[in-house]
Amino acid sequence: MKITILYGTETGNAEMLAEDIQSEIEADHEVDLSNLEDFAPGDFDPECFYLLVCSTYGDGDLPASAQPFADAMEADKPDLSAIHFAIFGLGDSEYDETFNHGPKKLAELMIAHGAQQVGERVAHDASGSDMAEDLAFPWAEAVIADVSEKLGEAA
Amino acid sequence: MSGKIAIVGAGPSGCYLAQALLKKAPDLQVDLIDQLPVPYGLVRYGVAADHQGTKGVARQFARVFERQGARFFGNVSIGRDVTLEDLRAAYDAVVLAAGLSSDRKLGVPGDDLPGVFGAGRLTRALFEHPEAEDLPDLGAHPVIVGNGNVAIDLLRLLAKAPEELDGSDLGEGPSRWLAQSGIETITITGRSPAVRAKFDAVMVKELAKLSDVRIEVVDAGESDEPAEVKTVEALSAIHGHWTGARLITFRFGLTPKAIEGEGRAQTVRFDTETGEELIPCTSVLTAIGFEAAPGLPRDALISGATDAEAGRLAPGLFAAGWFRRGPRGTIPENRADAQALAAVILDDLSADPARVGGAVFDGLDQVVDYSGWCRIDAAETEAAPEGRCRSKLATRETMLGVAGARETTK
Repeated sequence: MKITILYGTETGNAEMLAEDIQSEIEADHEVDLSNLEDFAPGDFDPECFYLLVCSTYGDGDLPASAQPFADAMEADKPDLSAIHFAIFGLGDSEYDETFNHGPKKLAELMIAHGAQQVGERVAHDASGSDMAEDLAFPWAEAVIADVSEKLGEAA
Repeated sequence: MSGKIAIVGAGPSGCYLAQALLKKAPDLQVDLIDQLPVPYGLVRYGVAADHQGTKGVARQFARVFERQGARFFGNVSIGRDVTLEDLRAAYDAVVLAAGLSSDRKLGVPGDDLPGVFGAGRLTRALFEHPEAEDLPDLGAHPVIVGNGNVAIDLLRLLAKAPEELDGSDLGEGPSRWLAQSGIETITITGRSPAVRAKFDAVMVKELAKLSDVRIEVVDAGESDEPAEVKTVEALSAIHGHWTGARLITFRFGLTPKAIEGEGRAQTVRFDTETGEELIPCTSVLTAIGFEAAPGLPRDALISGATDAEAGRLAPGLFAAGWFRRGPRGTIPENRADAQALAAVILDDLSADPARVGGAVFDGLDQVVDYSGWCRIDAAETEAAPEGRCRSKLATRETMLGVAGARETTK
């Protein structure tokens, strides 16, 4: 399957996780990796499944590298109804009021433009005891299986 | 591209720089040098013990050594063990990323009285820096001067009940010191009006979780500026938070004029818009910024720099992070900075294979390499008591002992 991993990062933690997910799945799939700041709404390809990895920064905001993408989405208003995506969030429950609000905002932005979310948004907690990849690898496997079924392809 | 680059200071700026350099040019030899036997600088000794999530960037930095091939030379002091000149002769480029670790003084009469403590001096002691001074008695009524995130960190730690430190890496001694502090009131003062306070709104909001305090915010003010609205809202939201007896008071528009007392700080004299105000205290904690520690001649280097803005100090000599910009900006700002500087360095780099690189440290005693740090890290994690995620080795001697311990059997 053609998969593109898009990450929104501020400290680099989401970028590192995105790279780890790429290494984990690239034996079985054709995987591209891109920073959201280098990705335009016009680049979305219906043939491709999008794995979004996004952190939260400041007061529940999108991380710096996701902000230009969000602005471009608001401006271009692309029709993403043929696009499937899944999203994994990074957050810190020390800031419980805004915990994982960055990925929540990004998911809402995708859905508002018609994109179809696959699976639940999974959230990693930096103040918890799990390693992000221990949650993210099973998540990636599950959503890829989901979307394969949905699109009637073999995984 | 080949070449040898030395980065002085293995804190977040130095590590992000090594990461960026090796991403762009994986064949470089990048060496991180630190005067401490342990890497990560402010991530270990500046980020508060109860902000473990923020310390998560250390996992990225470990990758720089484990996967990107950077080397660690710990317990090496540039200036004392190796001169800057010798280092520059050994490497194609040298980057100073040593941070700013000395507390800026208030610069008012009485700022050297007993009972006046800089935030860096206190946080080093709280977070068990091997060169920290002892934790002092702050008395029942400390006054914090400063309105940045460091001031809020100090305030929060001093205000926390012991069980609120669960999951942190605050050491046994500092935990006992906090539990027995006897602090009844904490007054935090800023020079600017509330709307222009420098702390991040999210740091203020976090105070609403404190379980044993009462918070009063005097004059949170009003604003329509989007950047200021968040601060005002955060301050208004914590005003009146009442879960216990310890009183936290936020005051704004107070410019310190003098610290007074009989042999010890007892009063801070402030200028305000409406005249003078005296606030009695048992200690004064200043959190008004940092400056270079003695050692590297930062002021001369920066003022004589060829292009300080880009990070160029002299041919083959660069500055990164706080050492270049001054004590402003959070961890991710240093990441953006490091990425820009990496491009500058690679543009300038002309590699000379005759340079000796890390061999310049040959013959030094007790240099700690990355595997030595891994032994320290493992020992600290294993020794963590109930309710803590780590128990730091607090002296250079114990660190060196553990770092140097080799396995006897394989």
